[in-house]
Amino acid sequence: MNSILALQEYFVLGWKALAFIFARPFYGQDAIQQMEEIGVKSLGIVLLTGLFTGMVLALQSAVQLKTFGATMYIGNLVSASMIRELGPVLAGLMVAGRVGSGIAAQLGSMRVTEQIDALNTLGTDPIKKLVTPRLVAALVMLPVLTVINDFVGIVGGNVIATTMEGLPASQYWHTVWVQIAADGFTLHYIPNDFIQGLSKPFVFGGIIAITGCFFGLNTTGGTEGVGQSTTKTVVRASILILITDYFITQLLLSVLTYGA
Amino acid sequence: MERRNRHGSTDARRSDRRDPGASERHQANVREAIRTELASDGEGAEPATGAVVALDHVSLAFDRPILSDVSFAAERGDTLAIVGESGTGKSTILKLILRLLVPDGGRVMIEGKDITGLTFDEALEVRQHMGMVFQGAALFDSMSVFENVAYPLREHTDMSEEEIEERVREKLDFVDLDPDRVMWQMPAELSGGMRKRVGIARGMANNPRIMLYDEPTSGLDPLTTATITKLIMKVQRERNATSIVVSHDIRSVFHMASRVALLNEQHVTFLGTPEEMTASEDRYIQNFLGA
Repeated sequence: MNSILALQEYFVLGWKALAFIFARPFYGQDAIQQMEEIGVKSLGIVLLTGLFTGMVLALQSAVQLKTFGATMYIGNLVSASMIRELGPVLAGLMVAGRVGSGIAAQLGSMRVTEQIDALNTLGTDPIKKLVTPRLVAALVMLPVLTVINDFVGIVGGNVIATTMEGLPASQYWHTVWVQIAADGFTLHYIPNDFIQGLSKPFVFGGIIAITGCFFGLNTTGGTEGVGQSTTKTVVRASILILITDYFITQLLLSVLTYGA
Repeated sequence: MERRNRHGSTDARRSDRRDPGASERHQANVREAIRTELASDGEGAEPATGAVVALDHVSLAFDRPILSDVSFAAERGDTLAIVGESGTGKSTILKLILRLLVPDGGRVMIEGKDITGLTFDEALEVRQHMGMVFQGAALFDSMSVFENVAYPLREHTDMSEEEIEERVREKLDFVDLDPDRVMWQMPAELSGGMRKRVGIARGMANNPRIMLYDEPTSGLDPLTTATITKLIMKVQRERNATSIVVSHDIRSVFHMASRVALLNEQHVTFLGTPEEMTASEDRYIQNFLGA
C-alpha cells in the first residue's frame, strides 16, 4: 500500500515539475546552473565511457567477424550497438550514478537542515525552484551527452579497427553510415536509429532528475537518511533506466519501419 | 475596545489563578479563558483588533497523537513563548501556523482568517507576511549572506538592486552584523551565533507582521544566548511584530515573553504571563521551572 502511494507521489512530482516549466516565475538561472552541473561536468566520464565501450565493441566483433572473413563490417556493428543501445543506456547509467546521487544528496541535506521548509516559508514552491530546473537540465543535457557518447564510441571503434585490423578509416566510416541508412528513415530524412538513440536519453534524463529529487525531498533521519536516499536513487534510477529501455525499444521497433 | 477585551480576559485568568485548583480544573479554566478571548475578539474582525495568531481547538496526529485540543491566541505586539519538554510538538505548532502542516481538527487563524482550507498557492501568499527563524538558521548554503537576506525580496517584490542592497544592509545592521564584512561570506564560514543572526535578518527582510522562532537559543553559549534574546526583544519592540517563540530555554523565555504557553502531553496545560507561571503551584509547572 505504501509503495503504491509512493509511486503515485513519484508521478505527481514528475507531473508538477513538468507543468511548472511553463508557469511563472521562471528560474532560468537555476536551470542553466544545473545544465552545467549535469551536462558539462559529466562530460569527462561520458567521454571515457564512450571511448572504451566503442573500443571493446570493435575488439569483440573483430574476433567474431574474422571467422567469416568479414572484418570490414566492424563499423556496422559498432554504430548499430552504440547509437541504438549502449550510447543512451551507458550515458544514462553513468549520469544516474554521478548526477542522480548528487541531486539526492543536495536536496536531502537541504531537507534535513530545514532549507526546504525555509523555501516554503519564504513563499517559494520547492518543486518549482529545485525540481523543475534539474528536470529541464537533465532533459536537455542527457541527449547531448548521448550524442557525444555515441560519437566518441564510434571513434573508439575506428581506432581499434584501423590499428589492429588494418581497416582504412574511410571504409570504417562508410560502413557506419551504411548501417544507419540500412535501418531506414522516418519522413525520408530522419534515420530511425537517431530516433531510437535520442528518445531514450530524453526519458532517462527525466527518470534521473525525478528519482533524485523524489528521494532527496523525502529524506528523513538526518545525515544517515541522506546516505540512504543517495543509494536508493542510484539503484532505482539505474533499474528504471534498464526497464524503460526495454519497453521503449519494443515500442519503437513496432512503430518505426526498420530496414525499409 | 481591543484594550478592554484584552484586560478583561487577563483579569479573568488572574482570578482563576487565585484558586490553586487541581491541574485538570486549571486546564479547563485556561481553555475557558481562551474561548472567551477568541469569542470576544470575534472572527473575521479587522486584523489590527483581533488575535493575530490563534489556534482554535487544534488536534494533529501522525503515527501517534501530537496535539489534541490545543488553543491559544497572540495579539499584536505579543511575544508568546511555547515551552515544553522536547518531543511535545512545539515545533509542529510553528509548522501549523506556517501551514506547512494542516491540522486534523480545529482551525488555525492568522489575522482573523482561517488558513486551514487554503490552497497551496494561497498558503504561499499568507506565508509572505510571516518571518520564520529556524533552529539551525536553515540558511541556503549555496548562496552568500547577501543573497540569503535578499531572497524574500527578490522573490516577492519589484525592488531595484539598489533598494534590495539598502534593505539587506539595514537588516544586517539591525542584527548587529557589519554588512561590509559578512555580506559576501558563505553561511559555512559563519559561527553559529552569526548564522542565527543572519537567519533573523532574512526572516524580517520582508518586514513581516508575524515573527516565528524555533529554538532560537539552542546550541548557543550563554553570552550569544543573551544577545539573541535581546535581539528578539528588539524586533518585537521596534517593529511591533507579533512573535511566537518555541523554546525549552526557560530563562531566556522569561526575559522576552509577554505570555507563556506550556505544552504537556498534547495539551496546553498553562497559558499566562511569566509572573503567573512562577506563582503557579502546579507541581508539573514547578518541576518544569526547577529543571
